[in-house]
Amino acid sequence: MLALAPLLFAPYTMTLLTEALILGLFAMSLDLMIGYTRLISFGHAAAYGFGAYACGWLLLHTALPMLVAIPVAALLAGMLAIGVAWVCTQATGVSFSMLTLAFAQLLYAVAYKWTSITGGSDGLAGIPRRPGPFGLRLFGTRDGFYYLVVIVLLAAFVFCRALVRSPFGAVLRGIRENEPKTLALGYNTRVYKIAVVALSYALGAFAGALYAPFAGFANTELLFWLLSGQVVIMVIVGGAGTLVGPILGAAFFLTVEHQLSNYTEAWALFFGLMFIAFVIFAPEGIWGLVTARRAREYADGTPRTR
Amino acid sequence: MISQTGMTRRRVAGLAFAGAAGLALPWGIRRGIAAEPIKIGMPLALTGPLGSVGQQLKRGGEAWAKVQNAEGGLLGRQIQLLIEDTAGNPADCVRKAQEMVERDGCNIFTGITLSSEALAVVPKLDEWNAIFVSSDNGDGKLTAGALVPNFFRANISAPMGARAVSLYLRQSKFEKFYAIGMDYAWGHSSVGVFESEIKHANKNLVGSVFSPIGTKDFSTYITKIREAGADALYIVMAGDDFNAFLGQAAQYQLPEKVQMLTEQMELSLLRAVGDAALGLVGSTRYCFTLDNPKNRAFVALWQKEHNTVPDTFEGEQWQALQVLAAGIEKAKSTDTAQLRAALETVAIDDIKGPVAMRKCDHQAVQGGFMVKAVKQEGTAHPVPEIIATYPGDKTTPPCNKETFED
Amino acid sequence: MGGQSGQPVTLLAFFVTQSLNALSQAALLFFLGVGLTLIFGIMRIVNFAHGTFYMLGAFIGYTAERVTGSFWISLLVAPFAVGLVGALFELGILRRLYRRDASAFLMVTFGLALVLGEVIRLAWGPDALQVETPPALSGIVLLAGEPFPVYRLFLPGAGTLVALALWQFLERTRLGLLIRATSQNAEMVHALGTDVNLVRSAVFGIGCGLAGIGGVMAAPLVTASIGMAATVIIDAFVIVIIGGMGSFLGSLIAAVLVAFVQVFGEYYLPDLALAFMYLIMLLVLVVRPGGLLGKEA
Repeated sequence: MLALAPLLFAPYTMTLLTEALILGLFAMSLDLMIGYTRLISFGHAAAYGFGAYACGWLLLHTALPMLVAIPVAALLAGMLAIGVAWVCTQATGVSFSMLTLAFAQLLYAVAYKWTSITGGSDGLAGIPRRPGPFGLRLFGTRDGFYYLVVIVLLAAFVFCRALVRSPFGAVLRGIRENEPKTLALGYNTRVYKIAVVALSYALGAFAGALYAPFAGFANTELLFWLLSGQVVIMVIVGGAGTLVGPILGAAFFLTVEHQLSNYTEAWALFFGLMFIAFVIFAPEGIWGLVTARRAREYADGTPRTR
Repeated sequence: MISQTGMTRRRVAGLAFAGAAGLALPWGIRRGIAAEPIKIGMPLALTGPLGSVGQQLKRGGEAWAKVQNAEGGLLGRQIQLLIEDTAGNPADCVRKAQEMVERDGCNIFTGITLSSEALAVVPKLDEWNAIFVSSDNGDGKLTAGALVPNFFRANISAPMGARAVSLYLRQSKFEKFYAIGMDYAWGHSSVGVFESEIKHANKNLVGSVFSPIGTKDFSTYITKIREAGADALYIVMAGDDFNAFLGQAAQYQLPEKVQMLTEQMELSLLRAVGDAALGLVGSTRYCFTLDNPKNRAFVALWQKEHNTVPDTFEGEQWQALQVLAAGIEKAKSTDTAQLRAALETVAIDDIKGPVAMRKCDHQAVQGGFMVKAVKQEGTAHPVPEIIATYPGDKTTPPCNKETFED
Repeated sequence: MGGQSGQPVTLLAFFVTQSLNALSQAALLFFLGVGLTLIFGIMRIVNFAHGTFYMLGAFIGYTAERVTGSFWISLLVAPFAVGLVGALFELGILRRLYRRDASAFLMVTFGLALVLGEVIRLAWGPDALQVETPPALSGIVLLAGEPFPVYRLFLPGAGTLVALALWQFLERTRLGLLIRATSQNAEMVHALGTDVNLVRSAVFGIGCGLAGIGGVMAAPLVTASIGMAATVIIDAFVIVIIGGMGSFLGSLIAAVLVAFVQVFGEYYLPDLALAFMYLIMLLVLVVRPGGLLGKEA
C-alpha cells in the first residue's frame, strides 16, 4: 500500500507523507519508553534535534554519503544517551520527566549559543543529500527518499516489535506494571531502563537524522520543548503501547495541523478542542478506534489490566 | 495467531494511511488548474511570538493587492495572495511554500517573516524555480554568504539599520557606548556591525552584553549598563523582550542618564511601552511620518482603510510589492527567469523615496532614517519624528558584505 | 564596579540592591509555582495550561484597569475571574477524568493551553498591551544614590502577604483543612461526608487564581503579551520540581533560590544566563530526586 503512494499522490503530498513517516518513527521510538515502560519523557526532542544536527553537520563538513551519515548520527546519539539515561533514571515519576526536559533544554541552550557548530538561531541550511556509497543516487530524489524512509520505518517497526515480544520486553512490561515487584524478582530494573531510554533516543535520533537531508536544514525548533510535548501527544493520541498507534498519531497530528493552518489562523483553537475530545471520547487513541477493540491487550499480546 | 494478527494489523495500518492520505487527494488533483491570476505566496508567521509582525505584513499585502486589483491588476491580471500561517516555524514555512509552488503553481514569494524561515527557504528557490522578494528579513547573510540568484531584498537590512545609527552618532556628542542585544544571530551581528562602526568613528564601546530570548527581568542588565558609565546605549532587541527592557529601564530612570538608541523602532513598540519610550532614538525601516507625496497618499489610504496610521512592516511590505510590481511590468511577464533579470536593475520612487535594486547582491539601495520618539498632541503613545535622513549609497554596505570599510 | 558619577558603589549597597531585584523576581516565580504545586499536590494533575492562566490574568487585569481606572481593583478582579475559569474547566472537563491515567490530564491541559491561548489572542489581539503601574507605586527610592523602582519593593511585599494568607488559609480554615486532608486521603474525606469534587474544583480554581495574580503583577514589568504563557510555563515547572511537587514551602524556597542564582549569575556569568535554571534543577534532582522538600522520590 505504502509502496504505491508515489503513483497516487501529488509531489507535495508525498513531501507531507514523508515527513509524517519520519515523525512516525520519532513517535514510535518514544512509545518504547511511554507505552512499554511508563517512562514519560518531556525531552524527546533532544533525540530528534541531536540526530538532525549531527547528520546535518556530517553532511555539510565531511564527505560522508547520506546513507552513512544517518546511521552514524543515530549511533552517536545512542551512545551519548546512555549517559543521559543514567542521570535521568536516578529519579522516577515526574522527576524523571523533568530531568529529561532539563537535558533537552540544556541542549537547546547549547545549540543556540554554539553558533560556530550549530549555526546558532539560524541553524544549518543547505544540507545535501550526498549520494553513495558506490555512487548510489537512488535515495536522493523525492520519491527515492520516501522509499528510504519507508524502509527504515518498517525495519525499525519489525525490530521494536521483536524487542517488546522478547524477554527484554517482558521485563519492561514488568517495570511498567510494578517496578518494586520486578526488582524483587531479581531484575536490575535500572539497567533495563537505561537500555530502553538509550535505544529510544537512538531511534528518535535516527528519525532526526532522516529529517536533516529531507528538509535540507536543521534548526533549534527541533530541540525545543514544544516538539517534545507534541510527540508525547502523538504517542497518546495514536495509542500508547501499540507501536503502530504512535505512527498513526504522528501522521494524524501533522496532517491536521497542516490542513487546519491552511484554512484558519485560529487553528490552534480547533486543534486543542480536538485533543480534549480525543481524551474524553477516544481514550485508546486512534489505534484503539481503528482496531475497534477496547484494547484489551497490548501489541505484544499481554492483557491490559486497566 | 501471531502472524495472522500481524498481517491484519499491517493491512489495517496501510488502509488507515490510505484513508488519511486520501483526504489529501483532492488537493493533489487541483494542481494544474488555470493560473491566470498572478499568485503571490505569503507563508507568514501569523501566530506565535512574531505574530504581530506577520499580521502587519498580511495587512500591508492585502491593502496593496486591493488597490492593484481595483486598478485592473498587473499586466491585466488580478493579484491573488496565498496567505497561510507558519507560526514562525521554518519547517512549516518550507512545507507551505513548497505546497504553494506545487499545488497552486506559485512562483513568487514575499512576506516570509523570520530570518530562520527565510534561510531555510532560500536554498530551495532554485529547485522550485521561484523568486522571493523579502519585505522583512534583515539578516545580513541573505545578501552575502547565503545569497542565491532568486532572492531579492527590498527592505532595509540589519547592517543598513545599524549603519544609519552609527552615521548619526558620528555627528553626535556621545563618546562612550554600551550595547545590549538579544542572544541570537541578529543580536550578535548587529552589535558586531555597531562595534566596528564605533571604532571607525574613533569612539569608545565600553562593553556589551547579551540577554537570552524570553528574558523577563532585566534588572541585572540595567545594573551593568548603569555601572559601565556610558553616555549612550545601543539596543538590539525586538518584541516582548524589547518592551520589557524599555519599560523596566524607564522604571529605573535609566533614560535620564543614558541616551537610548536602537536599530529598529516601530509603532507597536511605542504603543506597548508608552511614555517609557520617550526620547528613544533609533533607525526605522519605515515610519508614517516620512514626508513625501507618495507616503502621504499611502498614510491617507491607510487611515481610511484601518482608521489608524501604518506601522513599519506594513509600509515595508507595501514597498516590497511595489518593487515586485515594477519588476513584473518591466519584464512584461511573471516567468521566473525574465522576472529575475528585470528585478536585478529595477528602480522606483515610492513611499520611502528612491529605491534601486543592486545587481551584484540583490539588495535594494535606499535611504536610511533616524527617528526620535516624541510626544504628540492627541496620541496616547509617542510617535517617531524624523531627525535625520541618509542617502542610500552611504548606508548600504559594499556588495556581498555585512560590514563597512570606513 | 562603578557608579554613574564614577564613585565606587560599596559592595554592601550592590548586594542590597541586587538582592531586592532578586526578591522581586522571586515573588513572581512564587506566584507561578505555588498554584502549580498546589494543583499537583492535591490532585496529581500536571497543569500544562498554568502559563496560559497566568497570561489570562495579565490580560484581564489590563482590561479591568482600563475599565475601572484602578490597578488595585484589577488586582482583585483578575485572580477571581481566572480562578473561575479554572474552576469551570475542572467542573466540565477534568471531573470526567479522575478515574483515568495521568496521561489523560496531560493531554487535556495541553489542549486547554492551546484553546485558551488562542481565545486570548482572538479576544485581545496579537499586540502587546501596556499596563501601567499604579500612581502610588510608580516612583523610585534612592538606594546608595541610585534610583530603585518602588514597584519592585511592592512585589516581594505582596508575595509575602499572599504566602502568609495562603498558609493561614490552609492551616486555619475549614476548606483549607479539607484540602489538606484530601491530598492525604481523598476516599476518607469522601467517606466522612464531604463532597470531594467541590474541594477539587476549589483547589484547581485557587491554583489558577494564584497564577492569575502572578500575571496581573507581572504585567507592569513585561506588558500583557501573547508570548507570556510559553516563556513562563517552563519556569513554573522548574520551580515546582526544585521545590518538590506538592510542597508549598518548597515552592517558596525554590523561587527565592532560583531568583538569587539567576540575578547574581547573570551579573557575573551572563553567557550562562539561559542555562542557570536548568542546571539548578539538574543538581537538585540528582541529589534529591523528589525536590528540596518533596515527598515522593
